[in-house]
Amino acid sequence: MIKSVSTLLVLLSAGAVTAQGMRQLDAHEHGVGHLDIAFDGDRIAMALHVPGADITGFEYAAKSSEDRAKVNEAVARLARPLDLFSLPDAAGCSVLEASASLESEAGQAEHEEHDTDGQSSEQMGGHRGETLPGENETEDHEHEHEHEHEHEHDSHGQEPAHSEFQAQYLLECNDPTRASLITFAYFEAFPKAMELDVQVITDRGATAFEVMRDAPTLDLRELF
Amino acid sequence: MILRLALASLRARLLTVGMTILAIALSVALFSGVEKVRTGAKASFADTISGTDLIMGARSGSVQLLLYSVFRIGNATNNLTWESYQDIAARPETDWIVPISLGDSHRQFRVMGTTTEFFDRYKFRAGRSLILAEGAVMDDVFDTVLGADVAATLGYAIGDPIVVAHGLASFVDHDNQPFRVSGILEKTGTPVDRTVIVSLRAIEAIHVDWQNGAAIPGQSTSAQTIRQMALEPQAVTAALIGVKSRLQVFGLQRAINDYPHEPLLAILPGVALQELWQIVGIAETALIAVSGMVVVTALIGMMATIFSSLNERRREMAIFRAMGARPRVILSLLIIEAAVMAAIGALAGLGMLYLGLLIAQPAIDASFGLWLPIEPPSLRELQVVLGVVAAGAIVSVGPALRAYRMSLADGMMVRI
Repeated sequence: MIKSVSTLLVLLSAGAVTAQGMRQLDAHEHGVGHLDIAFDGDRIAMALHVPGADITGFEYAAKSSEDRAKVNEAVARLARPLDLFSLPDAAGCSVLEASASLESEAGQAEHEEHDTDGQSSEQMGGHRGETLPGENETEDHEHEHEHEHEHEHDSHGQEPAHSEFQAQYLLECNDPTRASLITFAYFEAFPKAMELDVQVITDRGATAFEVMRDAPTLDLRELF
Repeated sequence: MILRLALASLRARLLTVGMTILAIALSVALFSGVEKVRTGAKASFADTISGTDLIMGARSGSVQLLLYSVFRIGNATNNLTWESYQDIAARPETDWIVPISLGDSHRQFRVMGTTTEFFDRYKFRAGRSLILAEGAVMDDVFDTVLGADVAATLGYAIGDPIVVAHGLASFVDHDNQPFRVSGILEKTGTPVDRTVIVSLRAIEAIHVDWQNGAAIPGQSTSAQTIRQMALEPQAVTAALIGVKSRLQVFGLQRAINDYPHEPLLAILPGVALQELWQIVGIAETALIAVSGMVVVTALIGMMATIFSSLNERRREMAIFRAMGARPRVILSLLIIEAAVMAAIGALAGLGMLYLGLLIAQPAIDASFGLWLPIEPPSLRELQVVLGVVAAGAIVSVGPALRAYRMSLADGMMVRI
């Protein structure tokens, strides 16, 4: 059984890849964004993925200067994590790295903003390779690029239906255990965002939460 | 003074009071027993895997992947190709990766193909490792390591030959390649206890003379030849992954989920467990509600007995009143009686629960793999006791008020 299924699978997947790259799309639900938070020592890594509709209200490629301004403003806002996810002052957190971008469905970044908060670039270089989840994908990049091209060809002439804002943050805190009460100013900043699905990893393992617009706080104290 | 009266009065009606107390005790034992099983099951589920950052499998649902890869419940929809497995293993974030290959069985137990790294990496109950009770981990292609329950149920010892059946609940045995028991694990309270562990190469080896799910007639490869074959697996069912830095877990998860060549799924075990609880939560609530209703029934039963006892005690109440007891003495006497009954019942219920646990604990562990710890009563159990006492006092207010109103007039007018 196993063997026959597996050979079949190998054939199938090989065929699919050589022909034109596998077709797959992430789930996309307007109003619901995803936030991943990992606590490790004095570092906190966060990754945010939100449908374009939640942030700017539209998902087509920005054409008018008004739309472009909106996107730029949103990306700039998303690159300031502590304004969106406020941590208690007692935690003493500062931003080591923050980047935000708008990705359309085909995968190409349309706008990007990198922001570093008062850290020397030397130090930054040291952290980059090992910590930012997004950065680690560089190896596959060439690979992916080919597929992206195909995708562009495929959908030539038609707009990508959905777009997603992505942001990656790396924070450093004096006392990360006190960073456990997070207030989501995010919902004030983006009135169309309704919900964030949050995944958290701490020493005690992984858990998931849903943070809603009408109760925009997250209490992680039991995880420390 | 009233308490003494109440106790004496209860003692005087020992039989009915005893029955009422028994009903309350049983209901409390049931209620806290359900609670114990619920938390115990939750804890033992959560304890089944720790130290693994991600579980990777073919794309399906996160709960499903968790169930078949860790709990051996249900089956995989697809396997994941060895190529993809190696791609993920080679990623810089990956610290370690352990393959899991399921699909064969031995008697009623599942056979799992993996690497010897599994014994170092698989952790349960807050970081405990698997320990061999006897023997050693597999060294040869045909070596197997048995979970504690497998060895105990089938009576295997080190060195015994065993035959692995093809597929689950299947009729064909791979009898041309007999395996040998090389090690037996200590009991863990996890599904590993009910698993036959072989090497990944062994899973390939048993299928050497098989094609399309059937043995090739007249063809049989000797064990020696098989040992020399490369036996590279083409697919595995799932993989446990450890990530170098916790900060990279989500990055790797996303990379696996967006893997361009094969639909893969990576889950965080803790998050998937939580999703599972959300599903099971409805049944849990129903169970608690039902056992809660049993407690309510017992308390209403107590109210009924108090009501009916009022008739017998008309005289008694009247005499109290005649001797100068105020109506509220009567009221509080009845309420205190009820509260005392409820308290004795609740405490006896807890006692019954602990007694039951003491007796049944090993049996429950053996038959369901569910370890229910015997711990001093938790805050929640004390809350239950207090709640029952309070509820007992409250339901007795009805009969007590009736006695309060009637005590004088009713008892003094002797009707013959």
